Amino acid sequence: MAVASDSSAQAGSSPSPGPASSRARRVPGLGLLKRFLTLREGSIVVVTVITVIYFASTTQHFLTGNNFKTLLPYFAPIAIMAGGQVFVMTLGEIDLSIGAMYLFTPFLYVKLANAGIPLVPCVIVSLLVAMALGAFNGVMVAYVGIASFVATLGMLFVLDGITLVISHSEQVTTPGTTIVGVTSFAQVFGEGTYSELLWAIGIVLVLQILLSFTRWGIYTVAAGGNRLGAAEAGINVKLVLVRNFVLCSVLSGFVGILEAVRSSSASPDPSGSNAILFEAVSAVIIGGTLMTGGAGTVIGALIGALFLGILNDGLVIKGVNANYLDLYLGLAILLAMTVNVYIQRVRRGAGK
Amino acid sequence: MTDAQFEGEHIVAPSSAADDVLRVEHITKSFGPTVALRDINLHLRKGEVLGLLGDNGAGKSTLIKILCGFQKQDGGEMWLKGEDYAPKSVDNARSLGVDCVFQDLALIDELSVFHNMYLRREKLRSPIPFLNNIVMKREARKALDKIGINIPHIDVPVARLSGGQRQAIAVARTISGDADIILLDEPLAAMGAKEGAQILDLIQRIKEEGNVSVVMILHNMVHVLTACDRVNLIQDGVIGLDKPTAETSVEELTEIMVDEYRRARLAAHIGNGAGAAPAEDTAAGA
Repeated sequence: MAVASDSSAQAGSSPSPGPASSRARRVPGLGLLKRFLTLREGSIVVVTVITVIYFASTTQHFLTGNNFKTLLPYFAPIAIMAGGQVFVMTLGEIDLSIGAMYLFTPFLYVKLANAGIPLVPCVIVSLLVAMALGAFNGVMVAYVGIASFVATLGMLFVLDGITLVISHSEQVTTPGTTIVGVTSFAQVFGEGTYSELLWAIGIVLVLQILLSFTRWGIYTVAAGGNRLGAAEAGINVKLVLVRNFVLCSVLSGFVGILEAVRSSSASPDPSGSNAILFEAVSAVIIGGTLMTGGAGTVIGALIGALFLGILNDGLVIKGVNANYLDLYLGLAILLAMTVNVYIQRVRRGAGK
Repeated sequence: MTDAQFEGEHIVAPSSAADDVLRVEHITKSFGPTVALRDINLHLRKGEVLGLLGDNGAGKSTLIKILCGFQKQDGGEMWLKGEDYAPKSVDNARSLGVDCVFQDLALIDELSVFHNMYLRREKLRSPIPFLNNIVMKREARKALDKIGINIPHIDVPVARLSGGQRQAIAVARTISGDADIILLDEPLAAMGAKEGAQILDLIQRIKEEGNVSVVMILHNMVHVLTACDRVNLIQDGVIGLDKPTAETSVEELTEIMVDEYRRARLAAHIGNGAGAAPAEDTAAGA
């Protein structure tokens, strides 16, 4: 591989025998490692593997099937929400209303189901409403010109408020779950052991393909990297903004329903849902998506969510005092991001 | 009307001809209180290279942005090959055969060379419309080779390229499209002497083929005289001079531009009572 790239470099550019021959003498394994590390997702993969090795070697119960099942609900929902957020953050924007959307859709779903509508249409209608609210976010940002931070912060409070009003601040039992009796629906929409994991993997793959191999994806990168330039090239930047906010909202709404079905109940707890917002945004950034826009990775966000889940789970297994959990989590995020920044510098250097 | 309005020996009325591919009359454009274009009358013949000169802030870029559909004029009309021309968007103008190289190049640093080359005209697979990167890479390589620009790797992000290479890609992108009217906003700005000469050669070649007409903003008057058939000088939002390059010289063009600057200075110093009508206008522009 190293040889091939050397010959093409020599054929293509002006002859520069010095650096080229020194490159050929390098160990190919090191080159591969460097290549891997300079992938956008590379650093978080390394950090995650190190974390797994650490917990596996210092605790007995970490590498067990049961623990894996415990881990799933920690990371699968976050991965899906983070996947949507990648599309917004690659644009250089942020959607703060995803936690509130996650909170709101289960209550909408419950209201519809209690009105006697079949369950699957209830899910579909709830998701359509989530899309409409996402479109509203997008219009506020793209057409009205409000900063996404502010526009979606407004949406956050509006949705939290609506949820509290329609739920009368009371917990509800999710229709269609095993407690009530309909199982195949629940198996698919969150209650099956691997249901959320399969949804997460499927959605993340589709989103990554969308981002990497379609016009939607490169227009997202273009509008995030150079908004004026993208518009000059003829891209409808406003449309790109709106549809990415729609995507982000509908995925969060979907996760809300999955989680409500999985746990057979939904409680109107805005602080819990906002914690999920922060975890999703953390997963996106840890995964390698730039907050400034122009570059993003959905797979990276999935691994970022996995890293957060493993950290949470591993610290619990190690018996860390619950009071220290957030402290360690925060320090670990800072450490991981420091490594990330360093590796990004290496990546930029490799380009020269 | 345009004759009477602006006095001075250099001001020539736009003469229109039957083979005009693009004609522009009485174009005006303001940004809030700032008047960018007051009354632009311009025409472009088929196969012609028209150079646009003018001081900073004269309205050259604004005019180009209107011609390519990125901005809309406040007033005035345009005709393209004899038909009304009112582009709704850059896409729309491009579909009508008008394409532009913007001053800021409209390149996306994060995207690869070939993705930039095909931005907004991607090659897709069927039936599922995934990007056909293989075809785009191959075609981009061919287009760049044909133009003779050396870009060793076309799958690296354009952020890694030099200013000249970036400019070359932006020019190549527009030239290798199907446009028959090409607008270039300072295509040589970031280029070294050698790269600049390559682009000028390229424009010469296009001109010799005779199917493509070019409007080009340039700062260097020697470039204008060597690469263009005709030169229009924009001063204060109007075309102040329209001459074939064969009939003018660097000295004459410089004299007009410096003269305008002197008058603007004078007007700024002594107010509007200077007598000459353009003094008022230049003061507003300065």
